[in-house]
Amino acid sequence: MSTAPRRLFEEVSPAHPPDPGPPAIALVRLEDTLRQPAAPTPPAAATVRPRFAERAADALREHGPCVFMGACSLFGVLLFWHLATTYRWDFYIRFNNIPTPLDVLDKVMQVNANGKFITNVGMSLRRIFLGFAVATVAGVAMGLAIGRYRITRGLLFPALEAMRPIPAIAWVPISIMLWPDNEVSIVFITFIGAFFPILLNTVSGVQAVDGVLLRAGQCLGAKESQLMWHVVLPGAAPQIFTGLAVGMGVAWVSLIAAEMISGQFGIGYFTWEAYSLISYPEIVLGMITIGLLGLACSGLIRFAGRALMPWLSFAARSGAAR
Amino acid sequence: MSAVPEVPAAPEVRRGHVEIRDVSVRFGKKGQATEAVSRVSLEVKPGDFVSVIGPSGCGKSTLLNIVAGFMKPSDGAAWLDGQAIGSPGADRGVVFQQYSLFPWMTVRKNVEFGLKMQGHGQNARESAARTLLGLAGLLQFENHYPDQLSGGMKQRVGIVRALATSPQVLLMDEPFGALDSQTRTVMQEILTNMWQQLQLSVLFITHDIEEAIFLSEKVYVMTARPGRIKAEIPIPLPRPRTPEMMSSPTFHALVRQLKSLIREESLAAMGGELGASGLQGLDGHIGSAGIKALT
Repeated sequence: MSTAPRRLFEEVSPAHPPDPGPPAIALVRLEDTLRQPAAPTPPAAATVRPRFAERAADALREHGPCVFMGACSLFGVLLFWHLATTYRWDFYIRFNNIPTPLDVLDKVMQVNANGKFITNVGMSLRRIFLGFAVATVAGVAMGLAIGRYRITRGLLFPALEAMRPIPAIAWVPISIMLWPDNEVSIVFITFIGAFFPILLNTVSGVQAVDGVLLRAGQCLGAKESQLMWHVVLPGAAPQIFTGLAVGMGVAWVSLIAAEMISGQFGIGYFTWEAYSLISYPEIVLGMITIGLLGLACSGLIRFAGRALMPWLSFAARSGAAR
Repeated sequence: MSAVPEVPAAPEVRRGHVEIRDVSVRFGKKGQATEAVSRVSLEVKPGDFVSVIGPSGCGKSTLLNIVAGFMKPSDGAAWLDGQAIGSPGADRGVVFQQYSLFPWMTVRKNVEFGLKMQGHGQNARESAARTLLGLAGLLQFENHYPDQLSGGMKQRVGIVRALATSPQVLLMDEPFGALDSQTRTVMQEILTNMWQQLQLSVLFITHDIEEAIFLSEKVYVMTARPGRIKAEIPIPLPRPRTPEMMSSPTFHALVRQLKSLIREESLAAMGGELGASGLQGLDGHIGSAGIKALT
């Protein structure tokens, strides 16, 4: 039978003798108030300009000190570098042969004159994305299976744990022998670097999923595969993304090392070749490029995480001291 | 998808019949097993509101977990409409003590979850969830995430979510235990109003005596571990129930009766020596005057 469309949860009766204060209905309203205030209504067309200026001022007040401190910090490093190399400081640490910031800036113009530098960057990015993509798929899939089922945990985890302490770089010789060509072996090294952080974080994320959520899913009729996809995976997602961020960092470390040892092309190869050819500004250019690429990649992961997990911005978080 | 039943516009009310027969639960290895629940039988008739109260650790939540299908009894069985209960399923809606909304889903997606698992399409799910949320006065929060809601609202969404699949019985495991006392009182009124409208079969677990009396048609009192049914007390308070009834003589008499039953068990649960020597003296001091003052 279906009920008449009356209210399911009727407002509680206003008469409430033990409580002479506001009627109980007010209690409902009170506890209904949100922690997050509703977004302000969009400004009318006429008021857009002052509102924009206001918002800009607010943004400046809020983010200004942060941006200023960041600029100071970066400028400090540049200044020290400039002074140390221009005046060739030599006090146990020797800055005699280190190129100045302006030398490096010159080099940026030079290398962009032909396509070699861009090709190197493109090669490295391709290796990173291939290795990282395979590591993400394999790490998350195996992490889900290991975290959730005792049998896969028993069968797979000991072997993986035995291989985990071997650094990705130590795989280089074997990798060259294992794979038919150099390119695949470098991608393999990158994969090894990214795989273990992603795997371990997925496993611990799966094991940390609140049991009451699993039971709630079950008693709402979810079958095991549905539970895996709709409850376990999103429940573990925040920690999976931590694993992805760490994995991306290790992937870059492994990639650069592999390119330096066995590479043709790639930004790591570019940097090492510059050292062999005594082209010092190119070394620093290579280093800075690697840094920027790494920053961009982890930024991409943070961005994806925020886009895929919008609920996290409402979750209670422990904050750092201001 | 003709095999998929249509989602009703308003919640369809189904009133299942729950029976627990001679259920015992033992933990640990054979030989040195401890008995948590001993030969418990109870019944929720179709459209009945039944509470189980008892001291902590008496196994009342264990009983609910058996009916929900989360665990199996060592002896005996639980039945829903004559069918033995095996595993969890959408025919038994559960409201948990802890907040159990999926934090990554909006309020509406949470309510839709059970229908989605049954294979209903997006449009049918959405309109069913919106209808239910509208009836519960929660429609304006349909796109909020659970972390944006207060505790009382989370539990209301939890109840709506459990009702969305039209379960045969609603199982509630101390659902208001984590709420502050004011919100708790309001939630009790909301729940009792809802029950008076829908007349669902409800199995309600609590340790709060007033809550059990105010909400229920029948209260089972359990003993300390190993949990047995000590008493089965019908609640003769008329419907609709109002908060004023909490100060009526009948209500007070029921509270007194249940309190003394529970008190014996709580003392037993705290251990023999303490109950015998330490608290008997205290008993003399407070006595019946103390209990009167409390109620």
